[in-house]
Amino acid sequence: MVHVHVYGKLRRHAAATDPRAASVVQITHCPGDTVRAVVERVGISLDELGANLFVDGHYADLETPVPDGARVGLFPDDMQLLYKWYFRPERSLDPRGEPRPGETKKGPRP
Amino acid sequence: MERMLRVNMTDRTVRFEPVPSSYIHRAGRWLTSSLVHDEVPPTCHPLGPENKLVFSPGIVTGTAAPTSSRISVGGKSPLTGGIKEANAGTGWGRRLARLGIRALIVEGQPSSGLWLLKVDAQGATFEPADAWAGGRLSERVTAIATQHGGRDKVDVCAIGAAGEQRMAAAGVCFTDREGRASRYAGRGGLGAVMGSKGLKAIVVDDSGAGDVPIADKAKFEQGRKKLAAALGEHAITRPKGALNAYGTAVLVNILNEAGGLPTRNFREGRFEGATKIAGEAIFEGNRERVGRDVYNHPCSPGCVIACSNTWHRKDGSEHTSCIEYESDWAFGANCGIDDLDQIAELNLLCNEYGLDTIEIGGTLAVAADGGVWSFGDGRRAIELVHEIGRATPLGRILGNGALFTGRAFGVTRVPHVKGQSMPAYEPRAIKGIGMTYAVSTMGADHTSGYTIAPEILGVSGKLDPADPKKADVARTFQYATAFIDTTGHCLFIAFAILDLPTGFEGLVEECAGALGTAWTMDDVGRIGKAVLDLELEFNRRAGFTAADDRLPEFMTREPLPPHNGVWDVPDRELDKVFRS
Repeated sequence: MVHVHVYGKLRRHAAATDPRAASVVQITHCPGDTVRAVVERVGISLDELGANLFVDGHYADLETPVPDGARVGLFPDDMQLLYKWYFRPERSLDPRGEPRPGETKKGPRP
Repeated sequence: MERMLRVNMTDRTVRFEPVPSSYIHRAGRWLTSSLVHDEVPPTCHPLGPENKLVFSPGIVTGTAAPTSSRISVGGKSPLTGGIKEANAGTGWGRRLARLGIRALIVEGQPSSGLWLLKVDAQGATFEPADAWAGGRLSERVTAIATQHGGRDKVDVCAIGAAGEQRMAAAGVCFTDREGRASRYAGRGGLGAVMGSKGLKAIVVDDSGAGDVPIADKAKFEQGRKKLAAALGEHAITRPKGALNAYGTAVLVNILNEAGGLPTRNFREGRFEGATKIAGEAIFEGNRERVGRDVYNHPCSPGCVIACSNTWHRKDGSEHTSCIEYESDWAFGANCGIDDLDQIAELNLLCNEYGLDTIEIGGTLAVAADGGVWSFGDGRRAIELVHEIGRATPLGRILGNGALFTGRAFGVTRVPHVKGQSMPAYEPRAIKGIGMTYAVSTMGADHTSGYTIAPEILGVSGKLDPADPKKADVARTFQYATAFIDTTGHCLFIAFAILDLPTGFEGLVEECAGALGTAWTMDDVGRIGKAVLDLELEFNRRAGFTAADDRLPEFMTREPLPPHNGVWDVPDRELDKVFRS
């Protein structure tokens, strides 16, 4: 099982949408799951996602692996207020894989 | 012609003088730190006659540059014992800039009495202010503004009861766009410095003033348009974007998810009541109580971001503005309180008594560890802030901040650096901000290095603790922030100029246009370094050493749930930032 905590406009994907409580979507874990796969199964459009994505409280991106039992936190593009440079950018920080200014666009990851 | 206004509180004389040629391009933080460095003895008592309180609008404050109404306030801090610059968004600095006053320097000390300074196109005059002492600052400021022509004509800078009592957690308050006494140069106890000068308020009336001079209007306009376009486009800064809809308090849920929301005096990184106090809860609560969506408002004229929220009571009336992320966290998660009405009341009382919400939230949490009250007991927390306002013996302890309170009650868990209470990002979870806290010239300060992507400034930095470049990144962030604090822009423009390089170009072009300089983006680091070098030199002469650039011992020992990490950045890495 993966516990997906959604915020802002993404709360509509959960059964409970009151912003004063948690909005959680429970989905079955699949082998090799990544944030991208979880986002797709929940039905969230990548256009709505920001850079503030978390797996078990660790800053993540779309290719971050999601283990069974994980808590995934997803914030929409209009809420990505946490300054992303506080974290170690292990991979591109842009969830859509777009290059940052001055960066060469990378091909799709295998 | 631009000038400096020197105000002597010993004999209550005022003198206008030209801006010295060495300061000709300096404003905002660059100018306050220059004046403090050049004129204040670093070892002086911060509340004595040798300290000075310096106000300076930024380079483009008072112009049509978007979101540029910051006023910098500087002096030697009674909280840290080092140099301090705190800034606020208000129309007050715009009016000062329009009067052609690049710096207002308050010096000396009266033998007695409380005074009000009125600054207008005719000059500057004193009025007795003993009648304005104590009480609620909102009532005092409204009455002062009314007596001097109303809020359309004047803005007011003032201190509350805490500043009058020279408490080290006292801030300097400015009126917002609606005349509320709510915008603070909050950190470092500069309100106590103003109180030590016997100065209750400074009223600025810019009637009859001309426009702020702009040397190269075409270049300024080109830059202004680029920056305005970036702010209008970016998801965080645009209308109905993150800051306009939810305010900075949107960060409560984000930091909670990251496991970096300091909870119950920095014991845990997640707060079980986070969703009840976050920006989304404020938005929803307002919608229920007011009957419509309430978007945020600008704190100051000319702000296009408009991030200031308002919390309403159950009857729909205004309770307080603004509940910033830091204040929300300080009284919420850090005090274990999940009731927005209680958090709002604590925020309001800090505004009324003239207190820094971050310092007071941190202080209450330390006091809870000292057995003064229990985490989560919002009613008791409210009573304790009233004690500060009444200046009872307990209130005086609390009003002098977290470190002082920790000493008074034998508490060793005091999250601070250089005596300044830590803000709302847990350094054990987010180590990059921990480096900023440690080495900042200001003490623990989240705004000291909150900006600018490393690659924009040509630094290939990663915040991996093992990365030898990370000291470069920490230093570069602080230089860039010092530059923004010099321009008069709000630090929140960083979100847009971080992602949209044309916005960053625009920032530099509009400043160069205003001053008539040939600055390019390469000058940002040079100017930021000049500011930091002055501040570091002042602190060194005040007695600070590498031992002061450290996080509290308990953070190196106690793991922080949920990640269970400790602070493990080696001291030598911290020393590389400014000491090698």
